[in-house]
Amino acid sequence: MSSNTASLLPRETASPESKRGWLQSWLSSEHPFPWLFPAAALMVVFGIYPLLYALTLSLYKKNAATRKMVFDIDHNWTKILFDDRVWNAIFNTFIYTGVALVFQLVLGMLIALLLDSDRRGYGVLRALMTLPLVIPPAVTAMMFLLMLNGSFGVLSRGMIAMGLLPVGFSVLGDASTAMAGVLLAEIWQWTPFMVLIMLAGLRSLPKEPFEAAAIDGANAFQAFFKLTLPMMSKVIAIAVLIRGIDLFRAFDYVKVMTDSGPGTATETLTSYAGRIYFGNADFPYASTVALLTLIIVIVLSSAFMKIFKVKL
Amino acid sequence: MTGKSRILGIVRDIAAVVVTGLFIFPIFWWALTSIKPISAIFDKDRVNFFDFTPTFINYGVTLFGQSRSQIAIDEGLGMGVAGADAYDSRQSILESIIISLGATTITMAVSVFAAYAISRMAFRGRGHYLNWVLGQRFMPPIAILVPLVTIYKTAGLRDTDNLYMGYLGLMMIYALMNLPIAVLLMKSFLDDVPKDVDEAAMIDGATRWQTFRKVVLPMVKGGVAASAVLVFIFSWTEFLLSLFLTTDIRTVPVKIQTFVTSTGNEWGFIAALGTAAIIPSFIFILLVQKHLVRGLTLGSLKE
Repeated sequence: MSSNTASLLPRETASPESKRGWLQSWLSSEHPFPWLFPAAALMVVFGIYPLLYALTLSLYKKNAATRKMVFDIDHNWTKILFDDRVWNAIFNTFIYTGVALVFQLVLGMLIALLLDSDRRGYGVLRALMTLPLVIPPAVTAMMFLLMLNGSFGVLSRGMIAMGLLPVGFSVLGDASTAMAGVLLAEIWQWTPFMVLIMLAGLRSLPKEPFEAAAIDGANAFQAFFKLTLPMMSKVIAIAVLIRGIDLFRAFDYVKVMTDSGPGTATETLTSYAGRIYFGNADFPYASTVALLTLIIVIVLSSAFMKIFKVKL
Repeated sequence: MTGKSRILGIVRDIAAVVVTGLFIFPIFWWALTSIKPISAIFDKDRVNFFDFTPTFINYGVTLFGQSRSQIAIDEGLGMGVAGADAYDSRQSILESIIISLGATTITMAVSVFAAYAISRMAFRGRGHYLNWVLGQRFMPPIAILVPLVTIYKTAGLRDTDNLYMGYLGLMMIYALMNLPIAVLLMKSFLDDVPKDVDEAAMIDGATRWQTFRKVVLPMVKGGVAASAVLVFIFSWTEFLLSLFLTTDIRTVPVKIQTFVTSTGNEWGFIAALGTAAIIPSFIFILLVQKHLVRGLTLGSLKE
């Protein structure tokens, strides 16, 4: 007992730790725990816990009449298989992701090649090119909603004047063209993302192989396909991965521009989940559809990362 | 320079300007719409570029709280007497600023520490930790949104129960969404600082905390600023989470949707608020041009 107090006393009076404040002493140790804890806590409380909650929720069946939740392990997951709207949403999500990705990739590469120059003024053009990236997507959606308006939208009027559309045609109001209208906003806003990344890739390429190829008489096309593309493959893969993930969970443009309509013409997985949630308040089913989105994203992105050997 | 390459150069210049112009046009059109009077916006006979008298009514109503009906009466217009203050967006702008700043502060506070440990310390499970952080980037927000609404209700984080807790709730979920970009970006900036710097400081007797605070952190100031700006922009532009999680608090992207009404869209007001919402992002993005690629690729590509 006495030895205990003896050993405690000098430490308490002599130790500077207690005077330096808890944060400093907490972080003075070599142990990584205090450094990692805040971010981990944020992830667990606001990410992992809700995710597990969603998983549990998907195992319940909501009785529409009594509003009671009954444990029914496969009700929602079977329902998904036979829900035509889910398959329609999956189809739309893949169309949306695929078309946007191809356009953004090809346009991004072409524009990057065009703007990759040290001539005067190109720096300004490159800076201007980044501006669409930071507009709130909900605002972009509104911009295109205005420009595609059938009776006074500037883009619609332009296309009508060129004879591409019949007079008064509403691009977003027609089931056959609504998806194209939404994609136009998506492609406009995020092509600059690809441009920026491709420009960074192009600028980091070594000069020597191109000089050697030029001496050997290779033309610009050969140099692009034989040298530029292979050397840029890692950059392209990263860009596709990041963009693909974002595209797959697209919500803003669809919600604002068409609200998944007309009918279900532009309904994606995310927007369908949102519609179930706001529409019939079937939370278990909304969760299940949302989880399905997550599962597809995980499967596709891990397959992509394996096949193309990308690591973020 | 030969004649042929000179012509090619000029053709390229023109193409570059035209292409950039195409990408700038919607922004220009948007800003132009915001200063148009109603008659010019809804001109059904032609596309009206510059044939109108500029008006600042749209800004007056959305940003300065002028009464719309009063303006209409003053100008002798019969239109739009209803909805006197539904278009006043000052409250929304303030809420958006508070939430974006709060979210940025929380994100950066937790991320810088985590990134330092990941970059500097060897510990078991480091790879797993990184994967969990990255995993948040892969997760569609919708997957956690439905239960989150219920959880927020139970935990009292809904803005309808307690306004301040509502702010906090939105900030926390924004912080989670921005965590991957902030942690990975800060890790990439910290990895650029040689580890010898830390070792030298610690040999001189500095603790981990002192090394971090006095030596390493000042060296990555620029990186912290760039990450913070990007996190701010992503919080400022966020739509889905705010739409689901808050009712009384309306961030600007959500507020702007309310101008779409059953009796017609108030394009003038929408464009004015939209233009005002874009400007802060433009200023910020020009500040971080240099780190933009690194930021957008979560630190995996450097310019």
